[in-house]
Amino acid sequence: MKKVLTIVALVLVLMFAVVACTSTGTEEPAAEETAAAEEPAAEETAAAEEPAADTPAEEDATNTEGGAIDIAAVIASEKTTDNQQLMPDPIEKAFPDRPEDPSSLPEDDAGRYYDMEYVGWDAGEKDAGIPASPGDGPQGKKVISIVHGDHAWTTAYEKGMKQACEAFGMEVEVWSPNWDQALQDQLIDQAINAQPDAIALIPLSAENAVQQFRKITQAGIAAFGTNMLTTSDAMPYMAAWTGPDDWAQMRQLADTLGEAMGGEGGIAYITHDPGGSPYYARTYGPITEFAEKYPDIKTLDIQSPGFEAAEVKQVVSDWITRFGDDLNAIFLADDSAQATGAVDAVKEAGRDDIMIVAAGNSKTGQDLVKAGDLLIINYQSAEGDAGLCARTMAEWFAGEEVLPVGYLATDMITSDNVEGFYPTQW
Amino acid sequence: MTTKEQQATAPGIKQDSRRTDISKTSLFINRAGAYFIVAILLVIGLIIAQGRFVSIDNIRSILNAVSLTGMACAGLAFVVYSANFNDMSLPMTMALSGMMAVQLIPFGIVVSVVGGIAAGTLVGVVNGILIGKFRANPIIWTLAFNMVLSGIVRVAWGGSQIYPDTVAGDSEFAQQAAVQFNSFARTYFFDGALPLMVVVMIVLFVFAYFMMTRTRFGNKLKMVGSNYEAARLSGVNCAKTVILAYVLCSLCAAIAGIFYTSMTKIGAYSNGEGYDFDCLTAVLLGGMTLAGGKGNIVGVFGGVLVVGMLKNIMTLIGISTFSQYLVTGVVFLIVVWINTSSERKLGRA
Repeated sequence: MKKVLTIVALVLVLMFAVVACTSTGTEEPAAEETAAAEEPAAEETAAAEEPAADTPAEEDATNTEGGAIDIAAVIASEKTTDNQQLMPDPIEKAFPDRPEDPSSLPEDDAGRYYDMEYVGWDAGEKDAGIPASPGDGPQGKKVISIVHGDHAWTTAYEKGMKQACEAFGMEVEVWSPNWDQALQDQLIDQAINAQPDAIALIPLSAENAVQQFRKITQAGIAAFGTNMLTTSDAMPYMAAWTGPDDWAQMRQLADTLGEAMGGEGGIAYITHDPGGSPYYARTYGPITEFAEKYPDIKTLDIQSPGFEAAEVKQVVSDWITRFGDDLNAIFLADDSAQATGAVDAVKEAGRDDIMIVAAGNSKTGQDLVKAGDLLIINYQSAEGDAGLCARTMAEWFAGEEVLPVGYLATDMITSDNVEGFYPTQW
Repeated sequence: MTTKEQQATAPGIKQDSRRTDISKTSLFINRAGAYFIVAILLVIGLIIAQGRFVSIDNIRSILNAVSLTGMACAGLAFVVYSANFNDMSLPMTMALSGMMAVQLIPFGIVVSVVGGIAAGTLVGVVNGILIGKFRANPIIWTLAFNMVLSGIVRVAWGGSQIYPDTVAGDSEFAQQAAVQFNSFARTYFFDGALPLMVVVMIVLFVFAYFMMTRTRFGNKLKMVGSNYEAARLSGVNCAKTVILAYVLCSLCAAIAGIFYTSMTKIGAYSNGEGYDFDCLTAVLLGGMTLAGGKGNIVGVFGGVLVVGMLKNIMTLIGISTFSQYLVTGVVFLIVVWINTSSERKLGRA
């Protein structure tokens, strides 16, 4: 038995030694590739962004006289893995008038989802407990970022947060509750005990976020919401919220798809996990957009098989059997495993005429766009999401006015421009 | 006059009211097992979708959809049969084998696949030794080991997912291996009618059937699963039998993990999540019990088919995902109730 145990132990050690060696071996050229790819693209970006390009002396851009951070220079100089701006300008969203009773409206009426799409419209005054900005800049400030859980997206987010905070001279720690609500609450308590200058939080649940942000604010620490939308009740307890405008992006995707479909046909939806804000935005964003602009595009079915390629493949194969030629397009909430499953099903059935669009921009999604299997995906930078949050915190520390709700800049990725988004963030 | 009647007529002897005859219906249901439900689903499918349900495309779609679960079930059946409840490290076995296979792509497709399978199988060796030899609690140990593996994988790859073509780098040889790796889950025979994944699943089931019914190991496994102490006192090497059961379980999970990774083209620690309970459900639907020693591999295949057919029919009818959970739960409850009930009536439970 000892022999067996020794052999097992040796094989385990050997196995991970192989992983360690091969990981190093493959990462190096990738880093070189990144560097090589960055140069021409950086020039393009500089040409496109006049004010950023005007920023003097790149190496010294981050420091002004007396050693204080030049926030604008830092913002202009930092890039993401895919060579986009790490800390883009936040976008302010205009709020239309709220319907009297959104819940009474039909399912395909955009007004029904008003409170989800325009979170913060009724946030009112900020809570008096939110501390005043120190006004002395971000340098030396301690920040704790609490994310939602482990995922390749989160790894990219963490990278973006660390890169941005480091550039501003802020000290940052990123904590993950691994999708556990109770653990996230516990991490918030720990973070409060650590007395940082600010806490950035991706809440796991929109409803629970109210008490989480209230607790942070009541402890006299500045709270920043990031990525996941909360209910409006939580907004007064945040110094600011930043993140992607899922609703607007899904409407953009729907517009492009509607045009490609010639304004008519049948479409089916694979959703995000039911209940969360991406579920509503990525399902009812396009449905309401089609209802308004392309009324002849009919919803055939909505299914939530999750994020496993095999499950999605089965659902799409079943749709092809069930709807036949009436199925003209598929809208996916995820451009990774969901996209792989859907594309495989469509190819297997020989139905290359079915158009597929997806939310997100993972490597899988971009590769599928490049191969012509996906029509469009939307650019939603994980690193940029973190970067925008870090930028907002830095500006707030410097005493600058920040938007209460600042959205992340976005783009549509098609086969025409996909090359400009490599190498991918995750 | 039967013995019972003779006893009843004898003075001073109470009549034995217990039933000793075997119910033919119970026997039929018990033997048919999950195939009883398969037949019902087949009829429902024929009624609601007519020609579309029995088309080659739809049958291929059902089999293809359950092939990964099927591969893992073929192995998990050994663990359940040995009365060790479930292998909770199944998800990480799948993830680890897939990630190792992707990581080894620069060394060629053969090394990649063999390395991936070896890594996954090694999990079974460790599980087997700890549970078979040292009698660790199978649920607690495999659950804990799943977490340990999850941590190791996250640390080793820095929480990132890995892509075959990226890992291959610039080498033409490695890029070719990456293309071959990605094509595993997309290989078909007979002009697209028969996917490789389905062939592999069937081969694994045939292998499992052979191991369980035609080998001394199969007999020993039944003894260990039915009554551990009796098996031990009869001279069966229980530890060796349990170790082999876990090794076979992990071997099948590793193969499933490699196909899973090939299908998604991503090596990630989240690959295989949920397969522990999905597979256990199919195995139990197939007539095996957590108590061990009962059921057979043919029934497990039926259980896998039930899972696939049920999802297929519900989507064809247009039942929403939320209602699908409800229907699936009710069907599973009915199947388990029928199985348990027929077992009781036959005096086997």
